[in-house]
Amino acid sequence: MSARQMKLGLFLWATGHHIAAWRHPDAHVRAGIDIDHYIALARTAEAAKFDMVFCEDAAGLREANVNIASQTSRSIGFEPISLLSALAAQTERIGLVSTASTSYNEPYGLARMFASLDNLSGGRAGWNLVTSASPIEAANFGATGLRPHADRYARAREFATVITGLWNRRPAGHDGESFSVRDPLDIPPSPQGAPVMVQAGASDDGKDLAARTADVVFSAAQTFEEAKAFYDDLKARLTAYGRQPDDVKIMPGVAPIVAATKAEAQAKYDALQELIPDNVGVALLSSYLSISDLGRYPIDGPLPELPESEGMKSRQALVIEQARRDGLSIRDLARYFAGARGHWRIVGTAGEIADELQARFEGGAADGFNVMPSWFPGELDAFATLVVPELQRRGLFRKDYEGRTLREHLGLKRPA
Amino acid sequence: MHLAVSLNIAAADGQDVLDFGQISTFARQAEAAGVDMVIISDSLTSGEPSTSPFEATTLLAALATVTKKIGLVASASTLAHQPYNLARRFASLDIISHGRVGWNATLRQSPLEAANFSRPAGIPNDDFRRRAEEFIGIVQGLWRGWDADALLFDKAGGRFHDPAKTHVLDHKGEFFAVRGPLNVARSPQDMPVLAMSGLAGADLDFAAGVADVIAIEEPSPEGARATCDDLKKRVLTAGRTPDALKVLTTVFAPDLTAARLEAWLGTESCDGLIFALPADLSAINGFTDRIVPELRRRNSDRSAYYADTTLRAHLGLGDGGAQ
Ligand SMILES: Cc1cc2nc3c(=O)[nH]c(=O)nc-3n(C[C@H](O)[C@H](O)[C@H](O)COP(=O)(O)O)c2cc1C
Repeated sequence: MSARQMKLGLFLWATGHHIAAWRHPDAHVRAGIDIDHYIALARTAEAAKFDMVFCEDAAGLREANVNIASQTSRSIGFEPISLLSALAAQTERIGLVSTASTSYNEPYGLARMFASLDNLSGGRAGWNLVTSASPIEAANFGATGLRPHADRYARAREFATVITGLWNRRPAGHDGESFSVRDPLDIPPSPQGAPVMVQAGASDDGKDLAARTADVVFSAAQTFEEAKAFYDDLKARLTAYGRQPDDVKIMPGVAPIVAATKAEAQAKYDALQELIPDNVGVALLSSYLSISDLGRYPIDGPLPELPESEGMKSRQALVIEQARRDGLSIRDLARYFAGARGHWRIVGTAGEIADELQARFEGGAADGFNVMPSWFPGELDAFATLVVPELQRRGLFRKDYEGRTLREHLGLKRPA
Repeated sequence: MHLAVSLNIAAADGQDVLDFGQISTFARQAEAAGVDMVIISDSLTSGEPSTSPFEATTLLAALATVTKKIGLVASASTLAHQPYNLARRFASLDIISHGRVGWNATLRQSPLEAANFSRPAGIPNDDFRRRAEEFIGIVQGLWRGWDADALLFDKAGGRFHDPAKTHVLDHKGEFFAVRGPLNVARSPQDMPVLAMSGLAGADLDFAAGVADVIAIEEPSPEGARATCDDLKKRVLTAGRTPDALKVLTTVFAPDLTAARLEAWLGTESCDGLIFALPADLSAINGFTDRIVPELRRRNSDRSAYYADTTLRAHLGLGDGGAQ
């Protein structure tokens, strides 16, 4: 094979990435209690030769206000390692990446879970390391509240060192600040050696951890310039850890809405936007800005000045930057944000979407994309049947799997 | 008489470990023979280093997709998991399996665990017991967090669920503080089945108050009868009906001669039997060749089993949400 090709992940979330996805007439509203639905989605992605499916996770509700929460489909769903273990038995080739928290797990236990998923799938597992930024999660694991950003990342660094040591059979024994582990892992390695390491941190600490340990980095970027700046920054950090630019695949999120004509695509988007209750949009925006009371500011006024977040620093910066750039009111910003939580949104034909993806891929702003369908299964089907063939025609995406393991799909070395 | 098989995937006896195909074939054979449930355990609860490529709960998720009726129970340790995470995992497994899952909570502390789970000094047995009891209470409490009719799916009205039908737990105890609610929907059988094994005398009253299944180990049917009677008295004292707890006796399958098999199957020593197997091919083949035909002969009428799909129904347990 000659030219470099892009990697594609299917980002699964509840009934879809749009906050009002579940209200779409054709959305599968019972997604969170229907395993067959997920088996079907994974098979669609596998037939389209996606590198992986990716499950987000939070160890708690996503929204503290029960009235807001009850107007979204995000309060219930499958615990993702269990979900992907089920999918492992029902798929053949596609990678299976689950999020899990370094704050609310122990490395030995998580090493076992992922090693088992890796074996069940014949070497297709990956772990998205998160430090868990939500106080709602913290309240399910003790009475002391969310720990500061820097402490969470200190624990995450130690966690990553221990778990990769266990997976890669480095000499046993660790006695550190947060963890102690005496024995080697009692589960043998899969055909890919060790699960793929994924990370999506975008703060300085987050990017540094990614540069040190990740094989794949997910990100959120609106503009080409933002995506390019992130890409260059992360790749530049690799040298400090003795790694090559190609050792890490950077896959920004993209939320496409595709149809046969641009007008049709725009109409699909507009119809979804109509389904967002204002209070739900504002609450979602507030949670990503780590501010509890955005609702008390005039909804048609500008975003107020905000203190720097202890939660997701990078996403907060992204949102504030966009509001300033486009002169958006709270209502406008909330509605826009509800569509894809600050990720890149493209509305258009397959050709137009392929053009945009190609520009970022060839312009050195991405190694691939984490595809975020607005609602399931419709927008995944549309992407798989319209956009993927267009990318294949242009030689930008594989027509068949080259290998069997996730590392092989991604063109990653086996861990040392 | 209820029948279960337990497979310790860690104890491979120096033989080649079982792969997923072999384990799923075995589960389907047990299912075809009308066995109520397969109980999977792995190294962390058995205390021996494993050579199995699998951990029990992940294996169970995969098995759930290739079986239809049989109950699926996994051991999971109260030291290796946080209660919120464990509650989510089993609630999810229960939805994946359409209500066929149970958690085997072992109260025997494994010597391997503390040292690998950041507790180099270990945990005193008394603390371990109180902690495990608190842990189990939290898990069952979280499993009750969503009422059966909480999900509305009302697209037009914009009401996904009824907020009045979800409940925070707000547990604050000696070892844990857990707010809840769970972010997994209610289990199809209201609550996953709680099985307990490895109980010491000090655990019995607690177990009799909360468990759906208790596994006991006794060398003879007579001994099993006596232990069973004792447990059923404790169940009554705990304010439950004796039938709310099933007591199953564990017998080591490879050691069973025809006469001993006959003695165990022929005596109503309690609610049923668990055939324990090491995870090697000769042991599971021995089970399918020798014991399964005998079970089939005796259990020709398993119509109740085939009519219902949940593990609670197989075991003749009431629904899990009544308390
Ligand atoms: C595509 C993508 C997926 C993410 N998925 C999760 C997730 O499932 N759970 C979570 O707690 N955080 C998730 N995050 C958040 C990141 O882990 C990270 O916290 C965030 O990007 C802010 O960066 P920072 O932690 O370095 O401040 C995700 C981020 C991105 C870009």
